[in-house]
Amino acid sequence: MTTTTVIPKAMIQDNTRCIGCRACMVACKSWNERPADHTEFFAGAGYQNPRDLDSNNYTLITFNEITTGAKPDWVFGRQLCMHCEQPACASACPTTALTKTELGPVVFDASRCIGCRSCMQACPFLIPKYDYENLAPKIHKCTFCADRLEVGLEPACAKVCPTGAITFGDRDDMVAEAKRRIAEAPGTYIPEIYGLEEVGGTSVLHLSSVPFEQIGYITGLPKTPMPNLTYRWLRMTPGVFGILYAVFAALNWIVRRRMRHQKGEGEHR
Amino acid sequence: MNWRIRLTWWDKLLLVVMAIGAVFAFVRFATGIATVANINNAYPWGWWVSYGIMTLIALGGVGFTMTGLVEILGVHRYHPFVRPAVLMGLLCYSSMVTVLMVELGRPWMVWMIMISWAPTAALFEVGWCAFLYLTVLALEFSQVPLEKAGWGRALSIVRAIYIPIMILGVTLSHLHQSSLGTLMTLIPHKINVLWWSDRLPLLFLFSAVMAGPAMAILEHLAAARWLDFAPRMDLLAGLARIEAWLVGLFLAFQMGDLVYRGATDAMFSESWFAVSFWVEIGFGLILPLALLVMPEVRASRSGLATACSLIVAGVLLLRLNVVVIGLRVRHWETYFPSIGEVAITLGITAVAIFVFGWFARILPIHEELPLPEPSPRPAVQAARAFRGAEGVS
Repeated sequence: MTTTTVIPKAMIQDNTRCIGCRACMVACKSWNERPADHTEFFAGAGYQNPRDLDSNNYTLITFNEITTGAKPDWVFGRQLCMHCEQPACASACPTTALTKTELGPVVFDASRCIGCRSCMQACPFLIPKYDYENLAPKIHKCTFCADRLEVGLEPACAKVCPTGAITFGDRDDMVAEAKRRIAEAPGTYIPEIYGLEEVGGTSVLHLSSVPFEQIGYITGLPKTPMPNLTYRWLRMTPGVFGILYAVFAALNWIVRRRMRHQKGEGEHR
Repeated sequence: MNWRIRLTWWDKLLLVVMAIGAVFAFVRFATGIATVANINNAYPWGWWVSYGIMTLIALGGVGFTMTGLVEILGVHRYHPFVRPAVLMGLLCYSSMVTVLMVELGRPWMVWMIMISWAPTAALFEVGWCAFLYLTVLALEFSQVPLEKAGWGRALSIVRAIYIPIMILGVTLSHLHQSSLGTLMTLIPHKINVLWWSDRLPLLFLFSAVMAGPAMAILEHLAAARWLDFAPRMDLLAGLARIEAWLVGLFLAFQMGDLVYRGATDAMFSESWFAVSFWVEIGFGLILPLALLVMPEVRASRSGLATACSLIVAGVLLLRLNVVVIGLRVRHWETYFPSIGEVAITLGITAVAIFVFGWFARILPIHEELPLPEPSPRPAVQAARAFRGAEGVS
């Protein structure tokens, strides 16, 4: 008998090294066979194109105009599925169409999906998207190129990044590497790894030169895994069922006995 | 057994609403959700889920509330309300399943819940419980047509299993009514602090219980008006007293929860969240409570109808607030229900009301009701003739 221990993978998104070339977005579209789409300029903060992730865009470089020192500067951020260690989306799926694999990716199986969109509602990072215009819609999100990982390749985005902003490897190594970068250049980085502890840890670790909320990241998330929020109630279901049924049955028995009793008295009179 | 009825003007109105809904439903299935609905990537759940699933299940709670009040708490004077309540529950849950078929992206896959094992998913539990409870409701209600059709053997089987099945129904209801709240506890970061609570399961369960007597009172008043019998104002006044207690206790629970969580600041913040919250609390709880504590209101048809309609609307607004209005997503995202979304749910609701009106005229639903009436009108005498049929416990 052979046992293979799978080492979970992770990815560092080092925003300080990002130049906003969006090669990752192109490679992602290409590998996942997503069509090009017509986008429009929008008013307000941010400059990226498209504005947000959707069913055709599994990753997105965000353009954020931030004043550092005296002058404004572009600071880039990136949106993609965080591949949580304990994913809220998978815990909310009533048909286990979403699962966390041993290697790290959270993958979607369309053949199990009923289209309830619980995962979209559940995701703390607002990642899963839907193609409402299709007659057989699917959940769309970054796959961590699970198919590439299985055959020993790195994700498409990591493969093409020309500046080394995306680093792929074993999760333990990636955590150590992220910490090393912050320690070596404390002036470049804020001392925070986004994804190290967020919702119990994720498989994508983000580094930044400015606070994450300034570049469109969702901050203030709990450090504990999300699934427990519902599971602590749901795991009581069998017990509550048993107790309630017993209590109701007992009450009903008393009620019926009392009624029989009253009827009996009525007949005696 | 005669299934025919003469269509009145409100039957015809309901048929028109159904036809409009059917047109939109056809477009939804022919061209996809995007053509008729405004639900989007930021608001994956809109009117269909908040009204069509969450509110219809809560309102369908009238079935277990009235059954529980009579059969488990033993308040037998309200027995005449059980049959209408069970039929309302059956129709609300059937409508909910119909909305679900429209709302799900892949409705043909819905059976997948039954062959999955997802104990961490609230919807898995809701799916199973609601499916089982729908079966229970159908069994409970089947007594009525069986009785009318005179199928004695089938009727005796259903009556033999009635007690354990009825208790099962009340138990399952407690579970899935609360699990709908559990579903929403997963996103504390997305729901405004006014509504996200550790006690959402209890808030959902208690508000469904609160909706029960209100629905029963409304049904009785409507039936009395359209089927032309004298309403049992003595029973309604008693039920309204119970309802006043339920509303008061729910108000205290919701407020107590907000204070306990330290969320009182948000109640007085200048935001649309606070406005929606006060509409929910003010018009859905405080106003009807103030009305129901007045004996004159409890003795008046219009007073009861007003108070109970407000309570039902408040239960809807609580669901809307938790699922849609209280949601915090990307600041540029918006959602407002489309005409198509509303038309489809109205059409499905119209089917439920139509079927209720139809059954109420051909089946002994209200047979226990028309009682002490000093000068019986012809309609009352006709209704009394029903009482010859064997009563059901």
